[in-house]
Amino acid sequence: MSDHGYINYFEVLGLPETCKLGEVRNSYKKVMKQLLMEIGRTTITDNRRDNFLLNIAQLNAAYYILRDNERRQQYIDDRAQVVSLESRWQEAVEQGTDEVDSLRRAYDGALKHFLSTYMEELVLEAGRDRECVEASRWTRAHERHASRVLRHFRQRLYHEIHERLPYYQITVPEIDWNERAEVVASTLADGSAN
Amino acid sequence: MARTKEIIKPPVSQETIDHCLAKAVAEGDIVNFRFLFVSYSPLRDNSTEDIQTEKYAYLREDVEKDARFEAALAAVGAPATQQQVQAQLKKNGPAQLPADLVTLLADNAVALGKFKAAAQAYELLRIRARMQKAYLEQADEALSAGDMKKAVRGYRVAVGLDYDYAAFPEPMPGPPNYQSKAQILHAQYPSRPEDALALQPPEIHINVALGYLLLNPELAARLESRSQEERLAFLVELVHQIDPAWSEFVSRYHDACRLVEKIGARLQQQSNKVTTDTLAEEIEAQQQEEDPAEIPQILLGRALDDGAWWQYIKELAYAHPAAPLFVVRQFVTKDLEIVMPRYVQESPLVKALGLALDA
Repeated sequence: MSDHGYINYFEVLGLPETCKLGEVRNSYKKVMKQLLMEIGRTTITDNRRDNFLLNIAQLNAAYYILRDNERRQQYIDDRAQVVSLESRWQEAVEQGTDEVDSLRRAYDGALKHFLSTYMEELVLEAGRDRECVEASRWTRAHERHASRVLRHFRQRLYHEIHERLPYYQITVPEIDWNERAEVVASTLADGSAN
Repeated sequence: MARTKEIIKPPVSQETIDHCLAKAVAEGDIVNFRFLFVSYSPLRDNSTEDIQTEKYAYLREDVEKDARFEAALAAVGAPATQQQVQAQLKKNGPAQLPADLVTLLADNAVALGKFKAAAQAYELLRIRARMQKAYLEQADEALSAGDMKKAVRGYRVAVGLDYDYAAFPEPMPGPPNYQSKAQILHAQYPSRPEDALALQPPEIHINVALGYLLLNPELAARLESRSQEERLAFLVELVHQIDPAWSEFVSRYHDACRLVEKIGARLQQQSNKVTTDTLAEEIEAQQQEEDPAEIPQILLGRALDDGAWWQYIKELAYAHPAAPLFVVRQFVTKDLEIVMPRYVQESPLVKALGLALDA
């Protein structure tokens, strides 16, 4: 069962799921301080700026979600549900049961909900939280850039997850890459791709 | 009691199904192809939609029975594929498209220049990124061998297969958007005349042009290691492939340059002249003068109602994507800003594209 792609905020803070609230706060402050120091001594390029923004946003979100018991439990449940639905759908496909379509729809809904809630909405919300703003020196300008960066990151993860899912819109293709190379060569040679 | 509508239509023949599918595959039309499998598809016996009606003529008629169509028909007629198609047309719920037909459709779409349809089909097959890479690799080889036509074609296909994963509400092929990119090129009014893009040194001008025309900074960066001559030859070929009507623009560009020269000469003359004309003569002379507002109209080939400079840039970029690289913004009066042609006479790019007046 793979849970790759479903962001694990405990891992972001380097903590186990059983951690206490005090540990969440200490770890957040420590990691954020290290990150800000690293930013301070690094030459900023466009690419690095995007990565740093993403790191700060994720740290803020991790703290914001995990420090509140209700939010934390909801996050753990939602994550477990999406991981389990993926696994059940994969099993249903392998066994060829009738549940395939309904599981796929349930999984798709759960995945979209998970990604948009925990990798966009709550991340942006964390950027407006007083404690997070103070610790990360987050401003409106950061938020403007971060929403674009987060969207790209979310879509990239969605794509990565999608790659390992069973084919459902199409039968499983048998790709011969030598034949593909020949198709490419002939398309470019005959000049029809204009 | 729920009423069920009785469906009165003849069953759809296998021949019609094969024909419609083969047409969509041969034309590289992913939209029509997917439509043939939806729950209300006219190919389904349990659908109220009838394929034989005028409404669906576009799915059946105007087929060019060439080699591409024959190959598609053969693929559609394969027993395993026919079985899969029949099963999907009878199934309740989302259909599973036959992968071999989608592959053929994608290849046809690339060959016909329908890159966005190809990108969608390859994405369904989950081979879009690898196909993009395969086109780039062969394009780079062609570039090293000096075959610019093939190299540019390869890059254009690769750019065409790009996907916008940040699109809302779901990922979709990224369409060419020269109109907005061109406006970004001209977003800032040059504080000094020599700051204008069209007057930049050749290496900078070529760099910007490649980034703008390829629409993908990562792909443009692949060309950075190439020599200036290779990049120039690549860019010239790219301009001609993207815009088959480039020569029409060149001819209008020359006309616009002549008008600019005429206005420049007149202004020079006026500044040197001590006037002895009467007021009536001056007014008459002014009425016969050339109007600078005509310059963008000549460049575009038509006038825009109340056309601001940026509207001309947009329209120019749509008609001739490379055109905005060779114009500048210019205030001619306090209230009137126009786009006008400007170039560096010695620029190898300008010469290669035939834009210099003495070319």
